[in-house]
Amino acid sequence: MHSIWIALKTGIPASLVIALGIASAASAQDAAKMDEGALKYRQSLMESVGGDMASIANILKYGLPFVGNISVHADGLASHAKLVTAAFERKVTAGPTDAEPAIWEKPDEFAKRVKAFETETAKLAEIAKAGDPAAIGVQLKATGKTCGGCHESFRKPKEEWFKRSGGD
Amino acid sequence: MRALCSAAVAIAALLATAAARADDAQIVRGRAVLEAAGGCTCHSDMKGGGGPLSGGRAMKTPFGVFYSTNITPDPETGIGRWSDADFVRAMREGLAPDGHAYFPVFPYTSFTGMSDDDVLALKAYLFTLPPVQRENHPLNVMSPFQWRIAAATWRWMFFEPGRFVPDAAQTPAWNRGAYLVSAVAHCGECHTPRTLTGALDRSRWLAGSKDGPEGELAPNLTPDKDTGIGLWTKTDMVWFLQNGQLPNGDDTEGLMAEVIEHGYEHMPEADLQAIAEYLASLPPVRNDDLARDDRERDQAQ
Repeated sequence: MHSIWIALKTGIPASLVIALGIASAASAQDAAKMDEGALKYRQSLMESVGGDMASIANILKYGLPFVGNISVHADGLASHAKLVTAAFERKVTAGPTDAEPAIWEKPDEFAKRVKAFETETAKLAEIAKAGDPAAIGVQLKATGKTCGGCHESFRKPKEEWFKRSGGD
Repeated sequence: MRALCSAAVAIAALLATAAARADDAQIVRGRAVLEAAGGCTCHSDMKGGGGPLSGGRAMKTPFGVFYSTNITPDPETGIGRWSDADFVRAMREGLAPDGHAYFPVFPYTSFTGMSDDDVLALKAYLFTLPPVQRENHPLNVMSPFQWRIAAATWRWMFFEPGRFVPDAAQTPAWNRGAYLVSAVAHCGECHTPRTLTGALDRSRWLAGSKDGPEGELAPNLTPDKDTGIGLWTKTDMVWFLQNGQLPNGDDTEGLMAEVIEHGYEHMPEADLQAIAEYLASLPPVRNDDLARDDRERDQAQ
């Protein structure tokens, strides 16, 4: 009905208006799908980061005989850190996400925090090569502080995760 | 005679050195007590431009906003004129030197379990710190009469004074952990839910609270597998208190990050292990306020 009314008002053939309408609906659908994907990718990327952080910690806290593996995890962290900026380029704030809109409202501050994470993970990768667990432990902690430094302002606090109902 | 005199002088000097050493030991212990208390960071208003321990930090609670006080040894604005008795009474009984009752936002309800030695060591250490002149928030200096009555009434109704009593059936490490958790580190003040009156609901000891200070959620520290830390190992707990890193690799933020940085991470490892032993032994308590766990989040994705 709407299309026909537009066609009458503007003189553009109704079929064209309808086609355009379908196209825009399709692209809206694509955009929604891209949003969904961006959100899921962001989360899986953070899972990878957390996984490497936890693996290094497990080797250190249990004194496991895999100190050499730490380098692999640390390289992984340093590589993943470089993907964070791109992963958050698309603004998606709706849906099951802990991302704060502040990421896109204060891009300079966000960029600074991500940069700090990149710097510390690069240092960790460097230190890990020498294989000294004590030195790695100190740098792992410094790296963890850059996680917190960003999360403090740009991830919803845990009270929000808990208040949120399961299905959102 | 001269020999006798110089002998007396030498003995006096020796005694003085011994006394100084005892003081040093007390100060070292006091610093350890401060660290086991999470660095008393509620008294540090770093974000508000204050220095360490000079007070003025706003503590948002479900019962209103409270302001911490200056606990540096400044004689005018801090605790510089407090006697040992004043300090012990404040810590263990919740009463100011002038006799008025503190609001339980100051956790004397936990500190009452502390030993006199630990309390006095803490005072000795605080008195070695540089005095900072910073006026307390007006509400602390001259709080409205009704407020004082409210604090006194609350204390009269709900405060259970008493030192920590060890459980002879448990190991020394467990008892050390129980003492640290319940008294010095005052974990229960944030991690135990409160009743409508603001008193800790001790039937749900350490089961977490969604109304922690500064509006933060304080997780469930009991070994409940769904809503608590039942999947953490004791090694995970010690590592967390030393590094602020959760078993899944995530970081911790807010007040917990502060009390780790200024306090718990400096504690002797044996003490942290004692805390882990105690926490792992607690009866699991399910807390549905905190039922949203990773499993649920995964389902949502």
